[in-house]
Amino acid sequence: MRAMTKPPTDNLPTVKLVVVGDGGVGKSAITIQFFQKLFVTDYDPTIEDSYMQHVEVDGQWCMLDVLDTAGQEEFSAMREQYMRKGDGFLLVYSVTDKNSYENITHFHTQILRVKDRDTYPMLLVANKVDLVHLRKVTEEQGRELAHKLGIPYIETSAKDPPLNIDATFHEVVRIIRNQPQNDSDKNKKNKMQGCAKCILI
Amino acid sequence: MAAETYKVRLVERLKIKIGEAKNLPTRSHGSSTQRDVYCTLSLDQEEIFRTSTVHQSLSPFFGEEFQFDVPRDFRFISIYVFDRDRQNNKQDKVLGKVAIRREHLASYNNKDHWFSIKAVDADSEVQGKANIEIRFEHIFARNKNLSFSTNTKKLFVKVSECLDLTLKNGACDPYALVCVTYTNGKRLSKRTKVRKKTTNPQFEEEFSFNSCEDSDGDSEVCELLVSIWHDTPGMSDDVFLGEVKVQLRGHQQQNAAHRKAWYFLQPRSSKNRPSLTNSTPPGTRLSSDNSLGSLRLQIQYTEDRVFPAAVYDQLRNLLLQSAHMQPITATPVYILGEIINKVEIAQPLVRIFLDCGKVVPVIKSLAAVEISSVTDPTTIFRGNTLVSKMMDEAMRLIGLQYLHKTLRPTLELIFSEKKPCEIDPTRVKDPNTIQTNLSNLKFYIQKIFDDITQSAVHCPALMCQVFHNLKECAITYFPNNKEVRYSVISGFIFLRFFAPAILGPRLFDLTTQAIDCQTNRTLTLISKTIQSLGNLVSCRSTQPMCKEEYMDCLYKAFCTDTHKTAMRKFLEIISANTSSPQTIVNDKPVTLKEGEIKRLMIKRAQGRKRFGRKNFKQRYFKLTTHNLSYSKSRGKEALCEIPLSNILAVERLAETSFKMKNMFQIVQPERALYVQAANCVEEKEWVDLLTKICQTNANRLEKYHPSAFINGEWMCCKSPNELAPGCSQVSQTDSNNYHMTLDPERDLQRVHSLIIAHIQHLEAYIPVLQDHAVCDVMKQLIDVAFNIEYQHRIYKRTLDRNTKYGSLEAPIGDDNYLLASRMNLDKQVLLRCAPTDSSVS
Repeated sequence: MRAMTKPPTDNLPTVKLVVVGDGGVGKSAITIQFFQKLFVTDYDPTIEDSYMQHVEVDGQWCMLDVLDTAGQEEFSAMREQYMRKGDGFLLVYSVTDKNSYENITHFHTQILRVKDRDTYPMLLVANKVDLVHLRKVTEEQGRELAHKLGIPYIETSAKDPPLNIDATFHEVVRIIRNQPQNDSDKNKKNKMQGCAKCILI
Repeated sequence: MAAETYKVRLVERLKIKIGEAKNLPTRSHGSSTQRDVYCTLSLDQEEIFRTSTVHQSLSPFFGEEFQFDVPRDFRFISIYVFDRDRQNNKQDKVLGKVAIRREHLASYNNKDHWFSIKAVDADSEVQGKANIEIRFEHIFARNKNLSFSTNTKKLFVKVSECLDLTLKNGACDPYALVCVTYTNGKRLSKRTKVRKKTTNPQFEEEFSFNSCEDSDGDSEVCELLVSIWHDTPGMSDDVFLGEVKVQLRGHQQQNAAHRKAWYFLQPRSSKNRPSLTNSTPPGTRLSSDNSLGSLRLQIQYTEDRVFPAAVYDQLRNLLLQSAHMQPITATPVYILGEIINKVEIAQPLVRIFLDCGKVVPVIKSLAAVEISSVTDPTTIFRGNTLVSKMMDEAMRLIGLQYLHKTLRPTLELIFSEKKPCEIDPTRVKDPNTIQTNLSNLKFYIQKIFDDITQSAVHCPALMCQVFHNLKECAITYFPNNKEVRYSVISGFIFLRFFAPAILGPRLFDLTTQAIDCQTNRTLTLISKTIQSLGNLVSCRSTQPMCKEEYMDCLYKAFCTDTHKTAMRKFLEIISANTSSPQTIVNDKPVTLKEGEIKRLMIKRAQGRKRFGRKNFKQRYFKLTTHNLSYSKSRGKEALCEIPLSNILAVERLAETSFKMKNMFQIVQPERALYVQAANCVEEKEWVDLLTKICQTNANRLEKYHPSAFINGEWMCCKSPNELAPGCSQVSQTDSNNYHMTLDPERDLQRVHSLIIAHIQHLEAYIPVLQDHAVCDVMKQLIDVAFNIEYQHRIYKRTLDRNTKYGSLEAPIGDDNYLLASRMNLDKQVLLRCAPTDSSVS
């Protein structure tokens, strides 16, 4: 557990994040590195894990509720269920696996369709950048895809020393806070009200 | 010419997932504004599936998937949204519907779409067709007094029959109303007699009308309206079933009117007809009018015209080469996997290879290339690749019965006990319950763990063979890694087979009942633990890392040497070398299909004189590899067991026999069993499966009676002798394959359709490729595709030529009336076929 700068007050806004991407790209490694500050070496494929923690982003506290999902298509039946619930999404691929890069578009499309929106808070995460000699997807290709999807891009490594892990989660929270308020998402408005107000001030 | 003698089958498959609804209108009465919502899925007006009810919501999530082979011709797929309003003891109220035309289904494939929900009114709920004859005749009549003849033109309208009318509340007593409108606005109506209890009424009544309403000849007939009604004596209004409108203004229209033709019944014309564009066009997002809310659906519709096996010989041979060709990257299968969506292509490929006994070598070759390109052995087969998808399909095909046998008993226990198993402290209301919940959960997990680890001997030989190859291959590539021999197998049998099945038992036909939230959570926890246990023996560290804190105590309990030993043993046995794959013969009966069937009646050879609806009773049927049995309800002792060898024929039963739909008969020595399935999809599934199983029976009948023996005679051939041999040939089925569910021609056609859909991709690759071997294979694939497509073209032309507008096959009234226009032939491909064209036609 991280040391907290101040005790979080009650009724913090909850931010639900969902980590998606193909099998074996390091979704759990990123998530566990963020929550438990350690790198898991053994690979135990995830079915569905959830983690909760208070975090402070830009001086504003919130309750971060992260869902780590299965990458295998055998579990795709569960996808739309968590896609309905997520406030923001991390689309993760591995720079050593071209296939996982190409599958990002499917996740992006499905999220937008389930949400029935033109845009939604998402972040493209290029993981395993420490494996330089095995790299098959370049930074340029990553940025190109991000530009095409209209979402920001970040490079990460969950291996110690971690690269951009905290930054990734904080960035998604920022994107969610800064999104224009949509009339059709009234309950989201209430949930995020605390954050949105402070940014305006 | 050859194509005309072909027997071409049309196979359509529809997979539809009802996702969720949103912005449903609020309830205006009662204590709550929320609704209890469920959806039904209908083929035209026949309900074939219904979701479970989601309570107290205006944006209910269903997430239910239903897939089936389409058993009959249809025009619309409709999803009706209902509010189960039980508070006021009312009937369920229909909130609206989404109707999609058959021709438009394929344009929504693969992606989620939001459809706006449209209002339902009785006048637009129409199905069926009518046969109507129209003719004008000049009648010369001699006037008695003046002794000169007058020439009167008369309009004769004959309503012959209707087909597939809608049932209204389970009943249909139809009559036809013929109405003629004159240019001066006057109308004249005549009606047929009511036909009782039939959706296919034979009216055969002719009416005559004067062509001119008055003697001057100023007001001529200008429109004919034939409407069909359901007779409801005692009620205020009869129920509208559909109408046909024919314009007859002037000579031109009168001459153009078909003398005798079939017409599609249409919605009542004063109202707006259902709009054709009632959803977002593919590729766009928001639906425009959603005052009634909208519904998210995922549709996958495929339509294939399947030719006889010979047409696909070249394609089959080309594909089969892949099993032994090196390098595998230059084989047709690998190339198709690169170009076409893996999920779509994997299924037909696996079935084709399975049919030819080559599924083991092809998976071996594909797996080898994937293992060789992997750098980190821990992530072997974790991505979504062609071989992982093919393994997934192969396990589902070969191992489904094994899966059921292994998991069903404990899953049924979980469904019936419904013990709470939540151990996440953030999800329980009372922290004191966690200990009890934990012991409940441990009990279930241990039981399933035992079921699985003790099931090794039942694992099908083909699966063992595949696992053996995977293990050998992995060991060769990673000789220093001791764990990979287990992880390579557990990555399939646990991660892609047992874990998804426990998590979503409905997707594997392990249950048909709706699963409540709490049970769902129990299944998730079990699935997670079982998956981790499967992975246990391949972890390098002794204590596996626990990801979520609350799962720690569970892992501690199961991470014992006993469990590890059991797991190793299981993984070793299922990947042992079984040199002769056919030696394991499972002699225990395996359940093939079961379910409630609405009614049943036993007709004994002698004795009873009359049969009525009251003789039909609801029974639970179960078909195993040994017999067909039925009982009062599920799990009850069988009332009757029919050995499969006693089933002499399985055929449909003419609807006229009992005036009941979806009937089929199971003919046995001495008696016949008449059965009514719940709907046309159920009926087809039962008849197909039973026929397939019993087709090799030595004493299978050659002839049968399509109708029942009622009131002293066979309704079909009128023979008064109850023991008279049948009057019709039994249906012919191909008996050349042993696998019951395989249909290689259909799968080859599916592969062909996919190649044609991606042919431009294939062609685009060729000029940029350096590898000559790959290039050659691609060219061969394209050539073969053109050859098959050429057969389709000939067939289409024959069909075009022989299809008559207004015939039973192509009734008047729909835009796309020609069957042939549904074939979706690629225009470019047709052009390419052109050179050889003239020689044949």
